[in-house]
Amino acid sequence: MAKESDMSLFSDVLEPFRRVINTDPPKDKLSASSKLNFSESNQSLKEDFSNLLSNKRKSTLSSSELLTPEKRSRIEPSANTTTAPPSPWEAKRLKIDLIAAKAQITKLEARVNHQHTIRKEMQILFEEEKASLIDQHKRDERALSDMEERLQVIRKREQELKDEHSEALKEFQESKSKWEKDKADFQKQIADLKDKLLEANVSSKDQISEMKKDMDELLQALEGAQSEVEMLKKEVAKQTNRAEQCTSLRTQLEKQTFELQEVTNKLKELEYERDSYKDWQQQAKTAQKRLSNMAELEKEVIRLRASERCLRDAVCNKLLLEEQVHLLTTRVEALQPVQQELHEAKVKMASLESSLEEWKNAARAHGVDSARALSSVLESALSNQLTAVASHSEAQSQMAQLTEEIATVKYERDKVTAKLNDLQAVRKNQESLIHRLQKRLLLVTRERDSYRQQLDCYEKELTVTLCGESGAGSAALLSARVEQLEKALQGYRDLLAAHDQEAHAKTVEGLRAEASRWREEAETARRETSKLRAQRDQLQAHLERLAAPHRAAKVLHLTDNPAAAAHKEMQVDLEAAQEEIKRLKAALRDGGMAVCPEEMQQMKQQLENSRIKLKRMKEEFTSSAQEYRDVVYMLLGYKIDRTGHKNYRISNMYAESAEEYLTFTLCDDGIEMVHTEYSASLSELVELYLHHHRSIPVFLSALTMDLFTRTTMQQEVQ
Amino acid sequence: MSQQQTTNCITLRGSAQIICEYLKFAINSVLFQRGLYPPETFKTEQQYGITLLMSEDPLIKSFLTNLLTQSEEWILNKKVTKLSLVIINVANKEVLECWDFNVQYEDGDVALSKEKNETVGSKELKKIQQEIREVMLQVAATISYLPLLDCRCSFDVLVHAKPHCDIPEKWAEAEPISIPNAQNVQLKTFSTSLHKMETVVSYKLAD
Repeated sequence: MAKESDMSLFSDVLEPFRRVINTDPPKDKLSASSKLNFSESNQSLKEDFSNLLSNKRKSTLSSSELLTPEKRSRIEPSANTTTAPPSPWEAKRLKIDLIAAKAQITKLEARVNHQHTIRKEMQILFEEEKASLIDQHKRDERALSDMEERLQVIRKREQELKDEHSEALKEFQESKSKWEKDKADFQKQIADLKDKLLEANVSSKDQISEMKKDMDELLQALEGAQSEVEMLKKEVAKQTNRAEQCTSLRTQLEKQTFELQEVTNKLKELEYERDSYKDWQQQAKTAQKRLSNMAELEKEVIRLRASERCLRDAVCNKLLLEEQVHLLTTRVEALQPVQQELHEAKVKMASLESSLEEWKNAARAHGVDSARALSSVLESALSNQLTAVASHSEAQSQMAQLTEEIATVKYERDKVTAKLNDLQAVRKNQESLIHRLQKRLLLVTRERDSYRQQLDCYEKELTVTLCGESGAGSAALLSARVEQLEKALQGYRDLLAAHDQEAHAKTVEGLRAEASRWREEAETARRETSKLRAQRDQLQAHLERLAAPHRAAKVLHLTDNPAAAAHKEMQVDLEAAQEEIKRLKAALRDGGMAVCPEEMQQMKQQLENSRIKLKRMKEEFTSSAQEYRDVVYMLLGYKIDRTGHKNYRISNMYAESAEEYLTFTLCDDGIEMVHTEYSASLSELVELYLHHHRSIPVFLSALTMDLFTRTTMQQEVQ
Repeated sequence: MSQQQTTNCITLRGSAQIICEYLKFAINSVLFQRGLYPPETFKTEQQYGITLLMSEDPLIKSFLTNLLTQSEEWILNKKVTKLSLVIINVANKEVLECWDFNVQYEDGDVALSKEKNETVGSKELKKIQQEIREVMLQVAATISYLPLLDCRCSFDVLVHAKPHCDIPEKWAEAEPISIPNAQNVQLKTFSTSLHKMETVVSYKLAD
């Protein structure tokens, strides 16, 4: 029984842990449950204890013996003391029981210890488990948070998508509403147009009916007027009749008056003056009455004329109305095409709607729902086409370029082959030359060898001859020489034979080598051409690259840049300089008048001043000269004139004529008289005063005295 | 890590600015070195770790500002392929020298661009400036072999843009220039990893 209880206890103790491990409840719960289970286990333990000790119940052990053995042992004596002294059997029994109980106690203690250890192990296990669970919990939490984040992200995304969806829906609804609005607008327009048409129809009908009414009225008025006219005409006729009657009456009256006159005349004739006068008076009275009637008639005529005028006006009105009617009919006619147009517009609209529907269907068939998408599709198609065209043109240009390159390459190849041919020809020439030279070289070497041999031979001969001159020796020598010569000949022959072959082989080899060399050269040339071609392509590409931005770029600069400013300045300077040059040239042409106007003015003034001064001085001079001359003339009696350079003419105051003058010339040593006709007549005076006294003043005064006496004598004579 | 990235990140606009700054200094340097304007109108300035000379002429300054602001916009939109500084004989409009600044567009750092959602490069600024310094020193050295400009000269900058490019106000289309019997000298290139700048000077070979 004890064993069984043991097992059950153990299992009871372990059960909760197992449950804990298996179920993995949250931390709090776990701890709670574990505690709970522990208490349960404790209880079960206690129960076991009580079961075990139930045998001893009747004895001293109380129910409180769950406590530690020490305690119990302490309690026991007290129990013993309380009971009566036991009998020996009882004591023995008690001892046995005690021993059994002690054994039991020890066993139980051992079990308790064991249980304790188990509990500790369990606790350790539990701690480990707890740690692992905490870790797991943390991991779970982390995973949870991650998941939450992700969830949030997803929610966000969902929200965004929802928003987008709602936006799209809104957009769709907006566009739909717009379209519907458009449609409604169009329908409204159509309805408006219809209304307008109806209105126009109604109005035209109304107008027509009004016009008709008007016309009817006018016609009625016209008829009335016509009837009136007729009535008036009748009346006029009546009046005319009356007037005629009146005139006839008048004529009758006149006749009657004539008759009356005649009668009166007759009466006069018959009854003389009295009766006839009375009658005549009466007649006059009646006539006057009739005349008053006449005035009334005239008034009536005027009235009738007025009515006639009224009628004419009415006729005019009628014409106006007729015109209005005509106008209205034309308007109606004008409105009819408008109506037709309206019909046409309706038809057109229907056709357009159908075509729009077709377009829409077509677009839908191509998977396009909106006009924008259609346009984008069209645009993409166009752009594709454009790109295709561009690529096509590019390819064409590339092709052209390639063909050009091919042509150039061919040309180069031709050039290279021509060069190769030339080089081969040169090579052949050189080969032959080399061959010839080699031959010649060989010949020369052979010759040299033979000469050497001969020289040796001669040397030998010389030695032989020096050694001893004997016939046999000479013969042997000769034979030896012949032999040697033969050998040489053979050598020559061999050489010739060998030389031919060797030369041939050599030439062939040389040629081969040269050919290979040329080939190599050609190869290198080819390589070089390919390299050059590549380089050329590169350069072309580079050139294009360089040229491309030039073509593609737009060159801009500021309009007021320093270069432009400098150029403008330069231009201005140039213009100024040219202007100045022109001015100076003009000034030069004008004689420098315009060089400096102020200076010019000053100079002019000065000139004027000096001129005036000169003039004044001249005047002064002439006046003083005149005065001087007059004074000289008056004092000395001679008029002195300067006729030329150093020539002076003097005429006396008392000379009889102008021809009587003397001429003097100023010489280095005084003054001399020149011979004149007049001087010839004065030979006496000349002889006496000039030749004898050698004094001109005396001569002149003598002449004066002479002439004076002559004139005074004449006066006295007179 | 993020610090590192921000320091080495060059945006497209930043790259264009670097290019335009280089152009400004290069053009000024050429103007000084080639003696197009009197040396006393230039003022020294420290840039790229070397001393460069910048023109103080207000006309040149305004011209370059107008040119480079527009060019930056164009470079940003990849519309420019080349800028040519042309030195012209004023008297007969003959082109004596042409400094071509070829602009090439590069992808930059693809991975970083994806990350940043815009095209960026990851080249260090110091390295770029080092490269630019080398080019500037070469520009200064060209004076030793370029022919003497012994006539009254002026300059113009031609922008070789893409054909579909709009012409803004104050701009006009110019005639493409060519120098007969020209000698080309390729200077060093530098790159910002988004733009590659190639500098070529072509001049008329003396007869």
